[in-house]
Amino acid sequence: MRVDIKDLLFSRGSFTLRGSGTFDAGVHLVSGPVGSGKSTLALLLAELLRPGSGAVRRHGVSSALLLLQFPEHHITCPTVAQEAGSWGLAPEDVLARADLAGRADDDPFHLSRGELKRLTLACTVMRNPDLLMLDEPFSSLDCTAKRKACRMIEERDEGITIIFSHERAVLPRVDTLWEMEGGTLTACGSVPRAIPRWRHAPPYLRYALEEGARPENIRLQDAREAVCRTHG
Amino acid sequence: MQDPRLRLLSTVVLSLAAFASTTGAVAALVWWLLFTPRAKALPRPGVLLSLIAMIAAAAFLSAWGGGPGLSYLIRMTVVLLLAAWTYAETEDGEVLAVAVWALGNRVGFEVGLIAEMGLTSLAVIRQEIDQMRVAMALKGIRPGARSIVPLAVTLIVTQIRRSDEIARLLVVRGYTIGGRICPQFRTDSRDIPASLTAVIAGLLSCLPLRDVFILVG
Repeated sequence: MRVDIKDLLFSRGSFTLRGSGTFDAGVHLVSGPVGSGKSTLALLLAELLRPGSGAVRRHGVSSALLLLQFPEHHITCPTVAQEAGSWGLAPEDVLARADLAGRADDDPFHLSRGELKRLTLACTVMRNPDLLMLDEPFSSLDCTAKRKACRMIEERDEGITIIFSHERAVLPRVDTLWEMEGGTLTACGSVPRAIPRWRHAPPYLRYALEEGARPENIRLQDAREAVCRTHG
Repeated sequence: MQDPRLRLLSTVVLSLAAFASTTGAVAALVWWLLFTPRAKALPRPGVLLSLIAMIAAAAFLSAWGGGPGLSYLIRMTVVLLLAAWTYAETEDGEVLAVAVWALGNRVGFEVGLIAEMGLTSLAVIRQEIDQMRVAMALKGIRPGARSIVPLAVTLIVTQIRRSDEIARLLVVRGYTIGGRICPQFRTDSRDIPASLTAVIAGLLSCLPLRDVFILVG
């Protein structure tokens, strides 16, 4: 199972996106500053935008799903339970997973953006598609909810998961790192070897690297453990 | 047309003429064909056709009730073409500049600010609709009559929230009433003939020409 992008070129106004590479099974993190083209790449990979040239080719992928950056756009039903049902899922399971038990009859617009994000994230993850693309899944979430979102992502033990995020504090365990800057996609490589090359590495990882530690992954606990190992 | 004052004047005069009579609509259409980039200033075919379809539906209902349906269709379509051209040509800050130039730093600034926010919202609404259509496609909901209600609800709620956020932002930044800007305008060599033609076409379409010709005759 993989997604190949070959000489992808997409232009809109003065913005141009370029990229090539392969997304294999596992968790990929595409990091980059706001406005660097992450959301556009997500739409191209989801085949919701057509590239000017080049191609996105899916191999062995039978289902794909994209979590949009703003959860309000996903709403199509008048209650939280119906909204969960509109994803083809049992509302009780979704509400339990999203920590929204007891809110089944509420209007989704009465949820805070963070609650709505938890709801849509739970729905997309529980649909368990072969290719799951998450555009800024941690935005609007507090630290506890971010950690829970990370666990949800890590629990996906099959398929391709691509996270597009500028988050630099709470991150999940990933397999591959990519960078997006000025519309250009660059593959950093597999974790942990890619970590020293990762220019958008969060401050705690940079600190660990400066201390001579070699974190096994990109989470805070990985950096902490690596520093402990180094200093004994 | 470079000068936003002349562009807005032409649009207002021609829109009034087009709305007032079929003759005015034809005159405005001829002006649109002569002085605008025509198709280049139109929105995407899907958006344009949807808007024309709504006008056509109202025209059909009017005709069905014995009203001037065809005339309504022609007049409103021309108004739509003029609006699309003005929207495509207008750059950020131009409406505020024209309003301040015309009405001063107090009332003009208020009117211009409201108009600018309205124009910005149109662009935001367009992006939001695109996003919501993507979200519906992801859920397997096909565009159609059944998808209009959820789409409209989401759009209204997000726009109300956005307006509220902008209002709070203005308050936080200490905005009370009015403001001071020094508007500057550039005028192209074609601007004056184009706007003069628009005014003449507008006036002629409002005059009872048949009576004039009877008097002359």
